[in-house]
Amino acid sequence: MGKIERAQKLFLDSLKEKFQGEDPEAVNTTYYRFGGLAQSPRKQEFIKASKAVEMQRGIPMYEPVRCHLGGIPLGQRQLMTYQVSQSGVFVEGDDLHFVNNSAMQQFWDDIRRTVIVGMDLAHQTLQKRLGKEVTPETINEYLHVLNHAMPGAAVVQEHMVETHPGVVDDCYVKVFTGDDAIADDIEPQFLLNIDKLFPADQGAALKAAVGKGLWQAIHIPTIVSRTCDGGTTSRWSAMQIGMSYIGAYRMCAGEAAVADLSYAAKHAGVVQMASILPARRARGPNEPGGIKFGLFSDIVQANRKYPKDPARASLEVVGAGTMLFDQIWLGSYMSGGVGFTQYATAAYTDNILDEYTYYGMDYAKDKYGVDWANPAVGDRVKATQEVVNDLATEVTLNAMEQYEQFPTLMEDHFGGSQRAGVIAAASGLTCSIGTGNSNAGLNGWYLSMLLHKEGWSRLGFFGYDLQDQCGSANSLAIRPDEGLIGELRGPNYPNYAMNVGHQGEYAAIVGGAHYGRGDAFCYDPRVSVCFADPSLKFDFAEPRREFAKGAIREFTPAGERSLIIPAR
Amino acid sequence: MAYTPQYGPGTSTVAENRRKQMNPDNKLEKVRDVTDEDVVLILGHRAPGAAYPTAHPPLAEAGEPDCPIRKIVTPTEGAKAGDRVRYIQFADSMFNAPSQPYQRTYSYSYRFRGIDPGTLSGRQIVECRERDLEAYSKFLLETEMFDPARCSVRGATVHGHSLRLAEDGMMFDMLQRCLLTGDGNVKYVKNQIGEPLDREVNVGKPMDEGWLKAHSTIFHSLVGVPYRDDQEYVEYVQRIHSLRTKYGFMPKE
Repeated sequence: MGKIERAQKLFLDSLKEKFQGEDPEAVNTTYYRFGGLAQSPRKQEFIKASKAVEMQRGIPMYEPVRCHLGGIPLGQRQLMTYQVSQSGVFVEGDDLHFVNNSAMQQFWDDIRRTVIVGMDLAHQTLQKRLGKEVTPETINEYLHVLNHAMPGAAVVQEHMVETHPGVVDDCYVKVFTGDDAIADDIEPQFLLNIDKLFPADQGAALKAAVGKGLWQAIHIPTIVSRTCDGGTTSRWSAMQIGMSYIGAYRMCAGEAAVADLSYAAKHAGVVQMASILPARRARGPNEPGGIKFGLFSDIVQANRKYPKDPARASLEVVGAGTMLFDQIWLGSYMSGGVGFTQYATAAYTDNILDEYTYYGMDYAKDKYGVDWANPAVGDRVKATQEVVNDLATEVTLNAMEQYEQFPTLMEDHFGGSQRAGVIAAASGLTCSIGTGNSNAGLNGWYLSMLLHKEGWSRLGFFGYDLQDQCGSANSLAIRPDEGLIGELRGPNYPNYAMNVGHQGEYAAIVGGAHYGRGDAFCYDPRVSVCFADPSLKFDFAEPRREFAKGAIREFTPAGERSLIIPAR
Repeated sequence: MAYTPQYGPGTSTVAENRRKQMNPDNKLEKVRDVTDEDVVLILGHRAPGAAYPTAHPPLAEAGEPDCPIRKIVTPTEGAKAGDRVRYIQFADSMFNAPSQPYQRTYSYSYRFRGIDPGTLSGRQIVECRERDLEAYSKFLLETEMFDPARCSVRGATVHGHSLRLAEDGMMFDMLQRCLLTGDGNVKYVKNQIGEPLDREVNVGKPMDEGWLKAHSTIFHSLVGVPYRDDQEYVEYVQRIHSLRTKYGFMPKE
C-alpha cells in the first residue's frame, strides 16, 4: 500500500450541485425542513398526472401523503438530484427508473431484438444442393428482399396481411465480413463497414477474426420482441430469412431444401445474444439472464470510441450493465418492484465510481508502470496474488477514505450496497485493466468486499453475505468445480444469480481486462461489429449519455404506436 | 486442545474495542439505566404488564420427544415458556456509534443464546424468544454498546447510518422516533416501528465526542481512527483472502 496524491475529485461538482450552499466536507446539516415531496418537481408532476388518471378511471392511484408511512411522505431529507456520470446532465432519481426512461428501454430492446445469422451455410445449400448461382448481385437482391420482409411484409404469398412500416421502422438487416473483396461488392447501405466503424488496429483484428464469412446483423421490430420475448427474435428472423431466400432465389416454397435454410437460420448459423436459462428461471434465449459478461462487453461499444481510455470504456459497461442486469433483470424480471434502481444508479451517477477508478489507474501507473492510457498487452503487470492484493487494497482504502472525508459523498451513496458495489468495482477494474486478466479483476473485487466489511463492520444487504464472502475461492485460482473465466460467466453463474449490485460491474471487469490489453473484442468479434451500427436506435458507444437523454426526455425510441391508436 | 477465541486482529483502539465487546469474559460498562417497562415500550411487541404471547405450550408440558440434541442444549427461559420470537433492530451511525452491524452480530453470538441475527449495512436485527429478547435489549441499551444519539432502535424505515448528523448531533431518522430534549436527554416518543408512545421514554444523555471516539468500533479517517493505520488488520484480511483464493475453504500454508 502506498497512498498517492490525486488532487482532482471528479465527484465534487456533483456534490456542490446536489447539496447547494452546503460544505461537502461538513459532518452536520439540518433535516425535516424540505417540505417533503414539494421539493421535487418530478413528484409534483406525478401527483398532477395521478389526479388526471383518477378523474378518468375513478380508481385512486398515487397518494404519497396518505399511503407512505401512514402520513409521513418522502422528503424528510433532501431528495437529491443525480448527474449521470460524465454527461453533465442532472436528473431526478425517478428519471432513471427504466419505466420512466425510454433510452433504457431501447437499450434492452435493441439487444433482445438482435441475432446474427451466417449466410455461408445457406449459400452452400443454394449452390451445392440446388445448383443455384450465388453472386454479389443475387446477394444484394436478397438483401433488398430481406429488408422488405424482415419488418413483416410478404414476399411469396398472395393476399397476405403485412405490418405498417411506420410501426416497425427500426427493423432492418445489414451484413458484415472480414473479406474486403466481398465487402466491396455489397451495396453500401447494407454493409457494416468495419474499416470505417473501428480504429485501424481494432478493425484489422476484427476482420481477421471474422474471416471470409458473411454475416447478417438482424434487428427485428422492437414492438415484436416486446409483445413476445427474446426467444422470438431468432424465430421471427428465421421465418423472414427463409421466405426471402425463397423469393430472391426463386425456390419452391415447400421443397426440402428450405428446411436446411431454416435449420441454419434457427440453429446452426445463429448467434444469440443470450443463452437459454434453466427451467427454474424459465427464460428463453435473448433474455438478460443468459448474456455472458464477455459478450456484453462486446455489445457496449465504448472501447471503439475511447480506445485510449480503458477506464472510460469500462465505466460505460458498468452503467449499461447495472441498468440491464440490476434494474431490468434482477429488479424486474426476477424480483419485481422499483427498489433496485437505487442500487444500480450509484454506479453510474455523480462521477463517484469514475473518480475511484481513475485513482486506481494512476496508482497502477505510479506503482507498476502500467501506462493505462496506451492499452497494450506488453506493459500489463503480471496477475499475481500479491499484485491483486496491493491494487485492490489501495483502491478500496482510498475509496473508503473519500466517503469519510466528504460526508456528503457518503450521504449520496447512503446505502451500504451502493458503496460496496462501487468500491469493489473500482478495485476490480483496476486489477483487470492493470493485469489484462479478468479473473484477477474478479479476485480484486472480492478482496475489496472483505476489506470493506471489516473496516466499517458492514457491507451490503443480506445477499452480500452470500456471494462476496465466498468469492475469493472462485476467482484467480480456478478450481474445476467452481470456475469459469470471467468472459464465460454471466448473470446466471452460480452465486451471481440473485444479487443486485454486482453483475454489471462484473461485466465491466471482464471488459476492462481486454480494453486494457488493447483488444478489439472480448468474446465474440461478430457482436462487436453488429453493435457498432450507427443505424441502431441506441448509441452503444455512449450508454450513459443515452440514459441521460432518456431521463431528460430527449431520446426518441422505437416502438411508436401513435399510428395505430386514436390521436390525443 | 480447547479453542481459544481471539476475537479478531488489529493493533488499534477500534480493534481492541471490538474484542472487548465480543469477549463475554469482559464485563461491559453499564452507562445508563433503562427500566424493564421502558424496554418493553421501545420494543413495542406487547403492552407492559401483559402476559407473554406464546407460540407453543411450555416445554415442561409439551411432552418432548427423546432427542439427543435436546439433552445437550439447555433451553433459554423464553424457549422453556414457549414465547413467540420477536426482534430488536438497531441502526448505528458511521460517525463513531459504539457498535456497528457486524460487530453486533459477532458480539451477540458470543454473549447471547438462542438468537438469530441478521446483518445489513444500515441496520442489524436479532430475533429470539420474547423474554430473552427483553433481557438482551436491556443489556444492549444500558451498556457501552449504545449511545442515545448515534444508535437508534428502528424496526422499519431505518435509514440514517450513513447520513450527516443533524445540527444537534442526532442521527437522522425520518420518523423521529427519539428526540434530544431541552434537558439534554434523548427520549423516545415512538416505538421501534414508529407508533406513538403514550409517554416519553428517557434513554439518557448522548455521550460526548471524546467518549465516542475512544469507544468506537468503526474505522473512520475523518472522525476516528483511519483503517489504513491498522496495518495488522489490513494484512490479516489480505491473508484470509489469499488463502481462500489458493486453497478454497480448506486453507493451508
